[in-house]
Amino acid sequence: MREILQVRFGEIFLKGSNRPYFMRMLVERIRNAVKELNGHVWLSDSRVYVSDLSDMEEGIRKVGKVFGVHSLCRALELPKDDFDAICEAAVQLVEDHHGSFKVNARRSDKRYFMDSPAINMEVGHYILEKRPDLTVDVHNPDLVVSVEIRDQAYVYTRPIMAVGGMPVGTNGRATLLLSGGIDSPVAGWMIAKRGVSMSAVHFNSPPYTSERAKEKVLDLARTLSESLCGIKVHVVPFTDIQMQIHEKCHPDYTTIIMRRYMMRIANAIAHKERAQALVTGESIGQVASQTMQALTCTDEIADIPVFRPLIGLDKVEIIDIANKIGTYETSILPYEDCCTVFTPRHPATKPKMEIILEGESKLDTDALIQAALEGTVVYDL
Amino acid sequence: MMQVYLDNSATTRPCEAAVEAMVKSMREDYYNPSALYAPAMRGEEILKNAATAIAAAVGSDAKHVIFTSGGTESDNLAIFGHMQLNRDGGEILYSAAEHAAVRLTCEEAAVRYGCVAREIPLTAEGVIDLSALEGMLSERTRMICVMQVCNETGVIMPLKEICQLRARLCPKAAIHVDGVQGFLRVPFSMKQLPVDSYAISAHKFHGPKGAGALVWREGFRFKPMMIGGGQQNDRRSGTENTVGIAGMGAAVKSYPKNAAEHMRALKKQLVDLLRPALPDMKVLGLDAEDENSAPHILNAAFPPVRAETLLHALEAEGVIVGTGSACSSKKGKHSHVLTAMQLSPAVMESAIRFSFCPENTQEEILYTADAIIRQVELLKRYVRR
Repeated sequence: MREILQVRFGEIFLKGSNRPYFMRMLVERIRNAVKELNGHVWLSDSRVYVSDLSDMEEGIRKVGKVFGVHSLCRALELPKDDFDAICEAAVQLVEDHHGSFKVNARRSDKRYFMDSPAINMEVGHYILEKRPDLTVDVHNPDLVVSVEIRDQAYVYTRPIMAVGGMPVGTNGRATLLLSGGIDSPVAGWMIAKRGVSMSAVHFNSPPYTSERAKEKVLDLARTLSESLCGIKVHVVPFTDIQMQIHEKCHPDYTTIIMRRYMMRIANAIAHKERAQALVTGESIGQVASQTMQALTCTDEIADIPVFRPLIGLDKVEIIDIANKIGTYETSILPYEDCCTVFTPRHPATKPKMEIILEGESKLDTDALIQAALEGTVVYDL
Repeated sequence: MMQVYLDNSATTRPCEAAVEAMVKSMREDYYNPSALYAPAMRGEEILKNAATAIAAAVGSDAKHVIFTSGGTESDNLAIFGHMQLNRDGGEILYSAAEHAAVRLTCEEAAVRYGCVAREIPLTAEGVIDLSALEGMLSERTRMICVMQVCNETGVIMPLKEICQLRARLCPKAAIHVDGVQGFLRVPFSMKQLPVDSYAISAHKFHGPKGAGALVWREGFRFKPMMIGGGQQNDRRSGTENTVGIAGMGAAVKSYPKNAAEHMRALKKQLVDLLRPALPDMKVLGLDAEDENSAPHILNAAFPPVRAETLLHALEAEGVIVGTGSACSSKKGKHSHVLTAMQLSPAVMESAIRFSFCPENTQEEILYTADAIIRQVELLKRYVRR
């Protein structure tokens, strides 16, 4: 008998003929997650199993974060022929339990010498003999003891909910506009959860922003990297563009024009990365550049879709997710990543396209974008 | 690109003599100074030598030197140690320029020992306001805490006058001086000034981090904070940090005799280069040439350029400077000292601290001035609209 992890997946079940592809990707992602723990991962009978983990708790944490995993549980694996041992294993699992229970048996091996109701009865009887203080409640038990008869027998109790979603890489690629704030890491995580591989673009404005501020963004990317199966961060020098906008454009329009230049650069990097969409952390009305009118003005720059998974969320809801995915603590570190020098006192909330275009006509857009792209440094995290 | 380090009030590069002494103490003289066998005497020797060097530098005696982990611990030891023995509801006064290691310790002493902590105001130049102090001193005063040199403005505090006021108005009160920024760089002698305790920190004068000392006057009463094996005559238990102390002793001995003169010339050179090119520059605190301005610290504001922006712009040119004091500059608030000097927010937000060391050169200052002038000219064009 040994303890293993039994991993269940959710949505992949809904897939039709390409289900094997999704399964293969999921196994690959889990294998990658437990590589450092020497875990052995295999697929059998619509379940993924992980054994030989050098650290079970850490294994649960890592596998629980793999997109595509719906839930997982610690299970005791033993030869199915030894029914007494199966009963003993069930008793072992209720050791610390008080109150009611029920046994829930499943038998994918239909040639097994007992059917599911019989297993339920026998194992339940055995538990009650050893633990007369427990009671059986088949409708609302405090604990369900599951017994599965497959190639081997598996006995387990409580499943642990995992992150859900789809395995990263099964749904294309996108490029995230990543700042040091709370929102953008959450946006990237949400899209990646749908199976999308992610690269990121960060705009850096030295000397208005510091090396620490950049390091903070890379730290955020490192935190995301575990779930995203790696992420490339393109750090783009943006100071010259900001200075030129500041000098030449209408003061109330500097933020919206700046956002449009960010979009232009992100769009170019997305093409280079063969990404099919951009992702931003915008939410309607959160700041002046995120009014519907402003979003329309930034949207038209991109020639690929712009996904905004946070669009309808409140700040507190975003913070909840940031806490859950472990980026919040880093996001609230105090290093400025956007100097107030370039923030207008009265930003246009209903920007007019002709004023934007008039401002942009004074800038040598192609040369600015070209220089920014040439100065970009890529961090593979 | 030239590399110029002008943040020596935050910390300094350990000098060769200090590094060598520390390596030797780790490789050869690592014995516990309290042990009975002969080699342990080598550890004891390190302590004796360092104590003698420090005492000589401040006109005291080696037996009155307590080794600590640095400036903060020395300040804590003097203040908590003394106020524990004065639980009669008296007053502890500290200047508004004090480092948090003194200011917050005084406030905490008030909570712990039932005394009253009061802040002594500063003049617009950042000097302790002597007439205000005169009005605050009384028979209730138990302790006065004043720094020798302000870490932010480089102002040398009028210790002599403070000692005179104490003698006249509250002769029983103790005076604690935080000498972290003054030791070796500004003349000081406990033979001439009857202060009761004096704190130093090795890494501010080319020694290692994690080593410091409190020098005390005969008759100064204080309780120890570290209780244990009874080292240092029960005044500070814990096996002595012989490595750090060896480095500190070597740094004291090798500190150049003409350092103050050299640094004052560099400070004057920098101001003279900047002033004609940047007429909007404001020197904060006393004028650079004032004799009560420390030779190694210059605080200047370049409004409307924000200090943080200028700091990073200079960093990109290889010039390292400070804003406010390094310990508090990450907190993003206005400097306590500059606020007490009643400066405008715009000036406070653009204040840069240049702090020199004996190793800095005239070429470095030329290079720095050129970088500052270019960067300020560029950055001042970008103000919030």
